[in-house]
Amino acid sequence: MTKPSSDDPFVDHRSMGAAGSDPLDVGAAEPTEQVKSATQAHVGHLGRSAVGGEELLRVDDLSVEFPTDDGVVHAVRGVSYALHAGEVLGIVGESGSGKSVSSMAVMGLLPRSARISGDVSFRGEDVLSMPPAVQRSLRGRKIAMIFQDPMTAMNPVHTVGDQLAEAVLSHELMPRKKALARAEEALGMVGIPQPKTRLRNYPHEFSGGMRQRAMIAMAIINDPDVIIADEPTTALDVTVQAQILEKLVEVKDAIGAAIVLITHDLGVVAGMTHRVLVMYAGRAVEVGETDDIFYRTRMPYTAGLLGSIPSLDSDDDGRLRPIHGTPPSLIHLPAGCPFSPRCPLATDLCRQTEPELFDTDVTGHVAACHHWRRLAEADDPTTFFRSESEAS
Amino acid sequence: MSTPDQQRPGAGDEDQGIAVVARTQGQLVRRRFFRHRLAMISLVVFVAILVLSFSSTGIGPIPGWWKHDYTTIGTVVDGGRPTLSVVPGFLGGDGIHLGEHPFGQDNKGIDYFALTMRGTQISLMIAFIVGGLGSFIGVLIGAAAGFFRGWTETILMRFTDVIIIMPLLAIVAVIANQAGNAGPFWLAVVIALFTWTGLARIVRGEFLSLREKEFVEAARAAGTPAWRIIRKHILPNTLGVILVSATLSLAGAVILETALSFLGFGVKPPDTSLGRLVSVYQGAFVTRPWLFIWPGVFIVAIALTVNFIGDGLRDAFDPRQNKVRS
Amino acid sequence: MLAFIVRRVIAAFGILLAGTFIAYVLVALSGDPLAQLRQSNEPGIEDRIANMTERLDLDTPVPLRYLKWLGGAAQCVVPFVGTCDLGQSVRGQDVSALLADAMVATLQLITVATVTAVIIGVLVGIVTALRQYTRLDYSATFASFVFVSLPIFWFAVLLKQYIAIDLNDWLADPTVSLPAAAIVGVISGLIWGSIVGGDRRRVLTSFAVAFVATGGALLLLSASGWFRSPGLGPVVVGVVGVAAAVGLTAVVAGFRYRNVLYAALATAGAGIVANLAFDPLLTDPTWGTLFLLLLLAVAVAVGIGYAIGGLQRRQAISTSVWVAVIMAFTITADRMLTAWDNYYEFVGGRVVATFGARTPNYDGGTWGNLLDTVTHLALPTLALMLVSLATYSRYTRASMLEVMNQDYVRTARSKGLTDRTVIVRHALRNGLIPVTTLVAFDLAGLIGGAVITETVFGWQGMGFMFVEALRNTDPNPAMAFFLVTGIVAVLFNMLADIAYAYLDPRIRLG
Repeated sequence: MTKPSSDDPFVDHRSMGAAGSDPLDVGAAEPTEQVKSATQAHVGHLGRSAVGGEELLRVDDLSVEFPTDDGVVHAVRGVSYALHAGEVLGIVGESGSGKSVSSMAVMGLLPRSARISGDVSFRGEDVLSMPPAVQRSLRGRKIAMIFQDPMTAMNPVHTVGDQLAEAVLSHELMPRKKALARAEEALGMVGIPQPKTRLRNYPHEFSGGMRQRAMIAMAIINDPDVIIADEPTTALDVTVQAQILEKLVEVKDAIGAAIVLITHDLGVVAGMTHRVLVMYAGRAVEVGETDDIFYRTRMPYTAGLLGSIPSLDSDDDGRLRPIHGTPPSLIHLPAGCPFSPRCPLATDLCRQTEPELFDTDVTGHVAACHHWRRLAEADDPTTFFRSESEAS
Repeated sequence: MSTPDQQRPGAGDEDQGIAVVARTQGQLVRRRFFRHRLAMISLVVFVAILVLSFSSTGIGPIPGWWKHDYTTIGTVVDGGRPTLSVVPGFLGGDGIHLGEHPFGQDNKGIDYFALTMRGTQISLMIAFIVGGLGSFIGVLIGAAAGFFRGWTETILMRFTDVIIIMPLLAIVAVIANQAGNAGPFWLAVVIALFTWTGLARIVRGEFLSLREKEFVEAARAAGTPAWRIIRKHILPNTLGVILVSATLSLAGAVILETALSFLGFGVKPPDTSLGRLVSVYQGAFVTRPWLFIWPGVFIVAIALTVNFIGDGLRDAFDPRQNKVRS
Repeated sequence: MLAFIVRRVIAAFGILLAGTFIAYVLVALSGDPLAQLRQSNEPGIEDRIANMTERLDLDTPVPLRYLKWLGGAAQCVVPFVGTCDLGQSVRGQDVSALLADAMVATLQLITVATVTAVIIGVLVGIVTALRQYTRLDYSATFASFVFVSLPIFWFAVLLKQYIAIDLNDWLADPTVSLPAAAIVGVISGLIWGSIVGGDRRRVLTSFAVAFVATGGALLLLSASGWFRSPGLGPVVVGVVGVAAAVGLTAVVAGFRYRNVLYAALATAGAGIVANLAFDPLLTDPTWGTLFLLLLLAVAVAVGIGYAIGGLQRRQAISTSVWVAVIMAFTITADRMLTAWDNYYEFVGGRVVATFGARTPNYDGGTWGNLLDTVTHLALPTLALMLVSLATYSRYTRASMLEVMNQDYVRTARSKGLTDRTVIVRHALRNGLIPVTTLVAFDLAGLIGGAVITETVFGWQGMGFMFVEALRNTDPNPAMAFFLVTGIVAVLFNMLADIAYAYLDPRIRLG
């Protein structure tokens, strides 16, 4: 991990923590092998004790519905979480699980047709009931966002410099030159060489990784408190993914922001986040410390996700254990637990009553499963998903 | 968003798999189209006009049910005023009835309903031939250019450019001036020879993007012959675009033919078309406006309903507005 | 970039050659110019046939005749080379001379129709895209479908018979009745209510304001005899200037930072002063003077924008320039209407013309002639532009909706930009790029429409010339038509390509 140059005015040295013990080294339970192989164990910031700082963002019972021709889509159903200063929160789920929609709701970026209920507060202030102008002044200044596909997320007809400067100018009046200087600084921070000439380039003259760096620069240019990163590496080459994640953590520490990292990639979560929220069919189904999610899984869906990670170096069984079936329709949700049709542990109880988030045996770890105890008892919960050939 | 009954990859052989997907896609399209209210109303009206015009004056040797003929000269009754009444008696009108000459008579006493129906019939026939033949040529040229690329494409597309720079109405008028004498059928063929350019460009574009798709490359890698790739893999995927474009070209053809006939370069006497009727009777406007109004109303009705049907089809094939991000 | 343009020019030339060749052959085969003479058995008919054969070069085989014709036509296109020779008509007129007059007439018609259609169409497209699925959107969509489905020739005759005659009858005794004012007021209220949008209270407020303003204005104007002798006067010019300054500032820069507004208002003020100060000059100016005054106005606007703009100098300059241009047009309209009474007398109250391009024997100075041209252009332009108007509004709407769904618009919103900035800088800039191509394409269609419009309104342009030529089996004027339309089509397609490459940086390299 490269340190930002110390003459950089953006660097806030209070948050530069010493590299601590790698959390992946503790506990030799079986999933480790699988997780480790899919992860770059490059992260030092997790060892810091910054977590537990001031509460920045609080989402309470957030629900989002979209009326469509075919019926009402229940995209998000009662999601709650809190984000503290310096923290990285991972939100994990398949596409369509509502993870992006919930963060777009926080940003106020959903289309007008969306019906939003619940509370979102930033530093104790209710975001959803704010007048639009105030809400707008939060966007990009206090809460910034990085999107999935850097190829389409930048306007092709404006230069990168203009697009960065615009983010500054929309919140602060200053000469364009000064805004461009800020843009240059930000580009330098995310590791783009010769930032001054790069300012005049158009997005199509950047490679995918470079564009995502520029997107990160755009997100940090106003020194925000919260960065929402929506699958920031999904569209990139594997080799670039690690660099981008590393850079993201680096700049976060430099400006002292908290991150909500949305991803479907458990490898990314393991390496970067302090806490994880797993989403399925618009609901949070398991929330806890990252380590607990991986090693003390209490929800079959999470176990299924863990079992789906390919491994190179496992000894006895290198077999994937995929979750069969597909996520339910968000228009016609099944009765009971939405995961029950795909769940190997499902009982009649599951098919009748949708479980709420129960406290589990691990403190601060909640799971929406009637049978979390059975997972607690199992050595390796992923084996519930063993295929038929494996069972015989 | 995924549907719960998604097709599992690798199920069944190739042809069967495509057939299954095509059917579900087709069902979706049909359902969306039938829900498009304006398109459905338009379809009903259009079919009504079609049936009315062909059944009332008859097709070829088959006589129609309407009592008057479009060539028979009669005595002018009541200055040729229309006898159609749609205001019911209790509202102070004459009650709902057709009367002897619902659309009135022209100055020679010819029944104007019969004349209008005959004009509608000819205009519709020309429109169908133009829409069908023009679209066929367009698909053929666009497909060949898009699939074979290279010299074929260069020549075909340059040829298309050449045709496009000539104002459609003018160049067709030059030929139709002669072809009109050979009857409406040949007039339609001539028009079709110049209306294919837009669709050819669209189809070429579709082919260019589709031929790079994985499923086409897979088929090519498997040694599937070119014509089979086109027929089985590419054409079904461009069907929506072609259908929409062909429908809209039908409306364009009605407008084009009537304009030609209005200028005197289209349908020639003794036959008639809606455009010719407007042209012939525009002088009688002040004294007998119905002679001018009726054919115009039918042109607008046909063009408008066909355009709405085309719009409904487009929405059905490309329901972009229903997308929800997740 | 240069190589790109050169390639396009060469390709364009090839297409033009092939196009004119095909047209030439088709025109040559379309009829025998001698057919009528041959049937005649007047004395001396042999001589006339021989004469015509020689004049039209009918003994030469068609391909060879084409080359000869091309040689003459080439001199028209290449400047400063010899004389332009497009052959002779069957009556022995020089076609290039015929064409020159016809071209000017058609150019006038098409330019006005295109500019009007683009401005209104794009505005309607943008508004309906921003107000998607409102009643306004549905009405505009329905109207555009109707416009596309209207046969121009039928609609043109209707315009002639109903609008022109009725309007002229009304102008004989122009009063607006109370119910008429109320109906127009309701329509205006509905439109503004939908455009403004927002919650029920805002819609109702804008409805009420628009209703009262429109209806009241109509009644007031009627009572004061304005319709009998319309005019604007310095007060209205001033009000328009200030409104333009405020409105354009709202679109271009917003009011968060006031310097742009101050610059725009200063420009409007300068315009008001100039209108009064230049009064003697504006009484009967030449077109050259007017053009110089326009340049002066733009220069002053740039200066004001530069001086007052401060941190938003760019926006201030462009806003000021637009305010200056709008004021210039308002002042022109104001002056033009000063000729109304005189013109009204001359044409006997039949102000809206239905035939030709000008009133014979009328000379009312610069303003009177301008008014004469405007009254003659009104109906043909209206008939001609409806289809284009519908096409532009539909296309702009679709393009805007597509762009508004793009990721980069979401990114722009996530940066905290105001809705205005997102729409103007991101959505509009990208959404209007494809519209430029459409304008180029549509021009060819417009010329086709001009063939009909000119025939109906007796507008002696190229379309009129073409139809006459075809009716008389007169090949050379018909070919002149194809030559001009071909050049226009090729030229504008090329311009569209270049404009596209200029507006979309992704294409610049390729």
